[in-house]
Amino acid sequence: MHQQSQAGLAETAVLPAGLRFPLEVRVHGRGGQGGVTCAKLIATLYSQMGLSVQTFGDYGSERTGAPVAAYTRVDRTTIANRNKIYHPDHLLVLDDGLLGAQVLSGAGQGALLLLNSRRGMAGFGERFPHCRLGVVDATSIAREHGIGSASLVIVNTTLLGAYVRMLGLPLDVLERAYASLGLEEDFAAARHAFDAVETREVADAEAEAVEAVAPSAPVAPLTGHFADTPPNLLTGAWSTQTPIYRTQAAPCNLACPAGNDVVGFIQALKSGGADAALGILLGTQPLPSVCGRVCPAPCMHACNRKSFDGAVNIRSLERWIADHATLPPERRKAERPRRVAVVGGGPAGLSAAYHLAVRGHEVSLFEAAPALGGVLRNGIPVFRLPRDVLQADIDRILALGVQAHCDGRLGGEEVRRLAETHDAVIVCTGFGGENALAVPGGELAGVEQGLAFLARAARAPETVAGHVLVVGGGNTAIDCARTALRCGAASVKLVYRRAREDMPAIGEEIEEAEAEGLRVLAHRQPVAFTGEGAVAAAVLAEVEAGAPDASGRRRPVVSGRTTTAPCDKVLLALGQRQELDLLPEGWEMRGARAWRDGTALAVWFAGDCATGEGTVAHAIGNGRRAALAALANLSAATAEAEPEPGVPVAPAEIRFSHFDVMPPHRDRQVAPLARRENFAESNQGLGGPEEADRCFSCGHCTLCDTCLFYCPDAVIHRAEGGYRVDEDYCKGCGMCVAECPRNAMEMREKGS
Amino acid sequence: MTVQLLSANHAAALAATLAGRANRTGRGFCSGVYPITPSTECAEYLCLQEIEKGRVVRVESEHSAMGVCIGASASGARAFTVTASNGLAYMAENCIVAASLRLPIVLVVANRTIGPPWNLWTDHGDALLLRDAGIIQLFCADNQEVFDSVLAAFRLAEDAAVMMPVMVCMDGFILSHASAPTEIPSQEQVDRFLPPAVVPHRLGQGSHTLGQIEVPHQTEVHRLQHHAAMLGVPERYAAVQEAFAAVFGRRMPDALDTYRTEDADALVVSMGTIGATAERAVDILRARGQRVGAVRVRMFRPLPAEALRRVFAGRWRIAVIDRDVSLGFGGVLWGEVRALADTGAVVQNYLAGLGGGDVRPEHIIGMLDDLLPRREAGVPELVEAG
Repeated sequence: MHQQSQAGLAETAVLPAGLRFPLEVRVHGRGGQGGVTCAKLIATLYSQMGLSVQTFGDYGSERTGAPVAAYTRVDRTTIANRNKIYHPDHLLVLDDGLLGAQVLSGAGQGALLLLNSRRGMAGFGERFPHCRLGVVDATSIAREHGIGSASLVIVNTTLLGAYVRMLGLPLDVLERAYASLGLEEDFAAARHAFDAVETREVADAEAEAVEAVAPSAPVAPLTGHFADTPPNLLTGAWSTQTPIYRTQAAPCNLACPAGNDVVGFIQALKSGGADAALGILLGTQPLPSVCGRVCPAPCMHACNRKSFDGAVNIRSLERWIADHATLPPERRKAERPRRVAVVGGGPAGLSAAYHLAVRGHEVSLFEAAPALGGVLRNGIPVFRLPRDVLQADIDRILALGVQAHCDGRLGGEEVRRLAETHDAVIVCTGFGGENALAVPGGELAGVEQGLAFLARAARAPETVAGHVLVVGGGNTAIDCARTALRCGAASVKLVYRRAREDMPAIGEEIEEAEAEGLRVLAHRQPVAFTGEGAVAAAVLAEVEAGAPDASGRRRPVVSGRTTTAPCDKVLLALGQRQELDLLPEGWEMRGARAWRDGTALAVWFAGDCATGEGTVAHAIGNGRRAALAALANLSAATAEAEPEPGVPVAPAEIRFSHFDVMPPHRDRQVAPLARRENFAESNQGLGGPEEADRCFSCGHCTLCDTCLFYCPDAVIHRAEGGYRVDEDYCKGCGMCVAECPRNAMEMREKGS
Repeated sequence: MTVQLLSANHAAALAATLAGRANRTGRGFCSGVYPITPSTECAEYLCLQEIEKGRVVRVESEHSAMGVCIGASASGARAFTVTASNGLAYMAENCIVAASLRLPIVLVVANRTIGPPWNLWTDHGDALLLRDAGIIQLFCADNQEVFDSVLAAFRLAEDAAVMMPVMVCMDGFILSHASAPTEIPSQEQVDRFLPPAVVPHRLGQGSHTLGQIEVPHQTEVHRLQHHAAMLGVPERYAAVQEAFAAVFGRRMPDALDTYRTEDADALVVSMGTIGATAERAVDILRARGQRVGAVRVRMFRPLPAEALRRVFAGRWRIAVIDRDVSLGFGGVLWGEVRALADTGAVVQNYLAGLGGGDVRPEHIIGMLDDLLPRREAGVPELVEAG
């Protein structure tokens, strides 16, 4: 089908047979579809064959979606004239919705007509008998290959694959052209269209070509001209796509182990104040005062604002809400109240008890210690979580009618009895024992578990003298260090086997501890403790970073190089074991549920005893899910679904240009030397709720009106607490979607 | 030398970039830019270029864009800007300042109809507003000519005997947004063609001001100096053409570009891309046996009057196409050239392509069909090209 290159043409020239010069090509599309670039690509194609080319668009004042034409003129000699093309030899139509007399005008006998259409050749029946017809669904192909943006599919590079096929040219001609333009990534779609195009030769050589051109509109005198656009020009008919508003998962919401609606409570704080925000928070968790102080805040690590000017200070906003709201939760009425026993009064148990009670069920809560709270009361020092604050959260739960039974440790037999006398039992007994450090001298006096030290310090004033060494890198280690400093330690050093940035403790807590006088010794591990009767020194080995382990962190490799650090007290904070010592005889735990003889029991496990995830937020989320699972098991009809996780909005999907740089509001801290003197709360939290203004509200419409302002056709209107798009006049340009600051909109193909 | 498929907007920006870089051993390059359709892509492209000792300053208006160029040029830098239509109208005050201060600034205008009524498309009314400002005006007919003219404009403007701004005009969209293969020389070639700019009266050399108040006689002399320099431009332009050919190995079109005029009985005179389309009309009419030729006024200011007189000599039918109208008079080009024809010649004016109307070969053939039987010229005729 092709002839070899001729003298005088470039060496790559493979001229298609049957071309007459000058060759005139016209492309019809809609603004934004890439019609002008399509004509330019065609020019590149012919230019590479050594022919003269000229290519230009027919620009109008209309924007995306409006019909546009573009032209390419090709000749063997220099092209002089600069007018538009009225009798195209080749006609490419990027959108079959445009087909009409105006688009087809001037296409004479034997003209090549290539249509982008979903209708296929059969969809055009006997139409265009005077043309060589090609039909390809370039839009679907381009979308499949991901060409274009979130708001618009660009079809030009795809369609050219079909054009090259109709010219009878080999595909490598196009491959070279795309390579020269840096469009290699689009070539696969062009190849797809090359294979997929359906073609038909001229069906009727006698058939009459459409020649009619719409007459020009009459021009009224300027001084007597009153009307502008004809009122009945429904430009919405031009569009193939339409914008829709849709909520997409925010990364903070997905990251929250407690399942909090972070965007929801921050936006509620902005629009309705602390009570409104607390209402949202209490939908997922009953301990906002606690989480607002001690949560490691994975939400803040996921926050899209982190890559702009710093993550939103979500933890402290939660605290601000909890400290300033007065709204009591409302106990709903259960259709059929159940009796549920919750074993363990730590965060998981409190969460499970709350979620059952607030839904109108009867809850008995059993706690081994004299007071509720578990790790919150015994593990977390009061200068981080004051007892009155903790008690306020607990009292809110008890106010819902939860019956607390403290100061009694239950065994397996009691749990079995609870299962017999209740509709369901939820066991949330937390971690088992602490991990020990098996090194010589570990038994010396003065070496003890950090949690035991913290529990003692929480009960009564504790005095520490001399030098203290803390082993570990989590929040317990930091709490031990800060407590020891407050109890009078002359110095506190913390030994951690990995790098400082690998420490699992909350970053701000580490910084505050260092400000109070802690010294962190990273890449160190005690290999022995020495002393006569009581510990007097620790032998610390240097630890090197080895190959990455399953968690991606580099595996510590203990070296033979050691130093000796004198110390009078060693506090071990090496994590805790997950163990369940109250399983009744014959029971086993499968998943988060108890089984006996192959039968599932109405007994669930939640919190660290079930998962070992080790944070308060995880325990709260876990407690809620266990409570809901127990209720769903009792009555499938009233089962509550957890929100679908979804794909979080990525930083690249946020329009940073719509936001001003506004660094985070930091927590107010008591001066380090002053706070070392006592156990008063050192972090004073935020000074106000202004930090909420920094939330991007990723994927969640805030009615900011950006879509409305940017719509070039003013077809977006405020309506019914949201927006309405007037589809009669929306040209589907996608500008609203492209400009949405928070990715709460997307383009949908019409009719899909 | 490479060949790139470029729009004229990008070609103009690339020429300015190469010219800017060529002044790295001199006092650098500076451009003040403010966007307006259809010139925006030129400014955008320029903003993306890395120019050693060069700076593109994005300002808040066309008036300030030229202000930046005036400051830069007055301190000896090579200066460039681009605009169109009402943007040029807004820039006009400072264009006159630049001209009267005899600063060698290069200004590209993507010709666009002045509004209202608002119109995006080409006509020459914007550039012609500044006909009498003391700025050299070149009108281009194809992409290569735009690129070449911008390079040459720097050499012409900075010529010690010229020392004034040069405006390079390209028809909006028809050229600004049309892509065609364009030969791009190497930086080394441009360096040879454009030695470092010397602005002899630049500031910063002892006590010296520019544009201070003058008594009438001083102004009289300065105006006449400017006028004399303007009259000398055709000769200096010819020298630039020679230097251009010597470095780049191709010829830049003459100030007056003629096509098949040698034996022509009738001529069609125009500016810009209509002049290119007229060549196609001439070919068609020649094929029919009619001896017609085309004349394109590439340099409108100063008008190459002598060259026009020579080509008009002995021709009795001359059609002058104006893509502009001096309201209450007729075509501006017609007004300029009609007195240069032989006494008794029929010089008929056609106003065509106003507001961007698409002037096609058949329109020009229609004008010649109208012209040839005429025994005397009538009032300017409006040709609707839609």
